[in-house]
Amino acid sequence: MATLSNHVPDPRLITAYSEHRDSPVHRINPWTKFGVIGALVIAVTVAKSLPVLAGLYLATLVFYGVAGLPYRRLGLWYTLPLLFVVAVAGPLAFLEPGTPIGGSVGTPIGDLSVTWEGAALFAELSCRSLTVVSFALTTTMTTKYADIAYILGTVLPRPVDQVALLTYRFTFVMVETLEDLVKSVLSRGATLSEFWSNRRTYARILGMTLLTAIERSERLVKSMEARGYNGDITLYGDVPRPPLREVVALAGCYVAVVGYAVVVVYEVVPV
Amino acid sequence: MFPDILANMAHIHLGEGSFPLWALALWTAFGVGLVGLVVYRIRKGGIKTHHIALAGIGAAASFAVFQLNLPVWGGIHMNLTGLVGILTGPLLGTLIALVVNVFSAALGHGAVGLLGANTLVNATEAIAAYYVFKTLLSMDWDVFPASAGAATIGLSLGAVLMGGIIVISGVNGSALPRGDLAFAVAGLVGLNLGVAVIEGILTGFVVQFLVSVRPDLIEMVDRRATEDEPAGVSA
Repeated sequence: MATLSNHVPDPRLITAYSEHRDSPVHRINPWTKFGVIGALVIAVTVAKSLPVLAGLYLATLVFYGVAGLPYRRLGLWYTLPLLFVVAVAGPLAFLEPGTPIGGSVGTPIGDLSVTWEGAALFAELSCRSLTVVSFALTTTMTTKYADIAYILGTVLPRPVDQVALLTYRFTFVMVETLEDLVKSVLSRGATLSEFWSNRRTYARILGMTLLTAIERSERLVKSMEARGYNGDITLYGDVPRPPLREVVALAGCYVAVVGYAVVVVYEVVPV
Repeated sequence: MFPDILANMAHIHLGEGSFPLWALALWTAFGVGLVGLVVYRIRKGGIKTHHIALAGIGAAASFAVFQLNLPVWGGIHMNLTGLVGILTGPLLGTLIALVVNVFSAALGHGAVGLLGANTLVNATEAIAAYYVFKTLLSMDWDVFPASAGAATIGLSLGAVLMGGIIVISGVNGSALPRGDLAFAVAGLVGLNLGVAVIEGILTGFVVQFLVSVRPDLIEMVDRRATEDEPAGVSA
C-alpha cells in the first residue's frame, strides 16, 4: 500500500519538536548548531580510525538524547542513509582486499568472501554517515522555524534565498495536499498496492500535487505583487550572535578537528 | 515485510564522509560554479515574481512527492527531477535541485558535504530532461513519449554522472583499485537506470495529465498547439 513513508522524516513532525519542546539543546544558538555541523562534516571526512568515528557517533547520539528526541523515530529515519551505505559499502565489503572472514562462496565470477577490511570499511562508512545525519536531525528538530528561515535568508544568495524561503513555507502545505490526495483515492476504493496497474492513479496524484502547487504559486504571485514584492521576502525575525561561551566551544571543535587532521591523519606536524 | 528497500532520485548513494577531503572540495567547487553561473544568468536576465513563486512551490512539491512510497521493488521514492526540469526549464530547475538538496540534507537524506555533487547530478537530470523534451517535441513526438523519453534520458545521465563522481573520487578508507570500484559502482548505476525508466514512464503520465487539464503550463506544448491552430480565416 502506498502511503506517506515513515522512513522519511516528516517536516511537520520535525517542526513540532522544535516549536513545542524545550531542552538544553533547544536553547543553544542556531548559528552554533549549524557551525558544529560543518565541523562534524570535516571530522567524519578526515577521520580514518573506526574507534574515533564510533566515538563521534556515540557522542552525537547522546546529544540527540539530551535534546529529548525520540530514538525509535531516529531508527526508522536511518533506513535511507543506511541504504546508501549498503549500496556502496555492500559490494566493497566483498571486493575490499584483505583477510576473509570465515569461508568463501563460489560464484560464476570467482570466490567471494567478506574481508575484515571490508567489514571495517562498512562500519566506518556507517558511522560517518549516521553521525552527520543524527546531528543534522538534532539541529532541525531543536531550531525554531523562524530561526531556520532567518538563517536561510541570510546565508543563501539572492534569488536562491527567496526560492528556499518559499519552499520552506510551502513544504508543509504540499505534504498535506499530497496526503489528502492519497486519502481521497484510497477512500474511493483504490488500493495502490500495485504500481503498474495503478500507474495512471499515481500520475494523477502526482500531477494534481504539481497542479495544486502551480495554481497556489499563481495566487501567491498576485498577493506578493499586491504587497509590493521587489525581490525581497522580508524576514522580521533575528538570530543573534552566539554567546562567548558557545563561540569558544565552537572554535574548540574546529581546532580539535584541524589539529587531529594535521597531527594524526596527515602527520604534517610530527608528535 | 521489507518496505522502502530502495530509494531513488538518481542521487549520490553515498553517506557523509564517503569521499576524501579533496573530492569534497572539488565537487563543492563544481556545484558552486554551476549555481553561481545560473544565479548570474538569472540576475542578468532579471527574474519575474512568478518564476520565483513557481520555483519555490515547485521545490516544495518535489520535496513533498519524495514522501510518497511507490510499491515498486519493495518501495521507491522519487522527487521527479526530470519533470521539474520539463516544467520549469534549466535555470529554475537547477535552483530547485539545489534547494531540494539543502532541505533533504537537513532531514538526513543526502549529505551536507555532498551538496555540490548532489546538485550537479540533479541539475544535470533537470537540464537534460528539458532540452531532450524540447528536441523531441520539435520532432513532432507526442507528449507522452517525449516526456517519458526526456525524463528517462535525463535521469540516466544523472545516474551515469553519479557513478563517474564516485569512481573519480574513490571511497574514503577503501584500498580498492579504481577498476574494481568501477565494477562495484556499475551495479548501483544499473539499478538507478532501471528506476529511471520507471520514473520516466511516470513522468510521461504526469505530463500527459497536466497537458490535458492545463496545456498552458507546459510552454513548449502550448506554443506548438497555438502554431497548429488554424488562423480562423477561411476562403
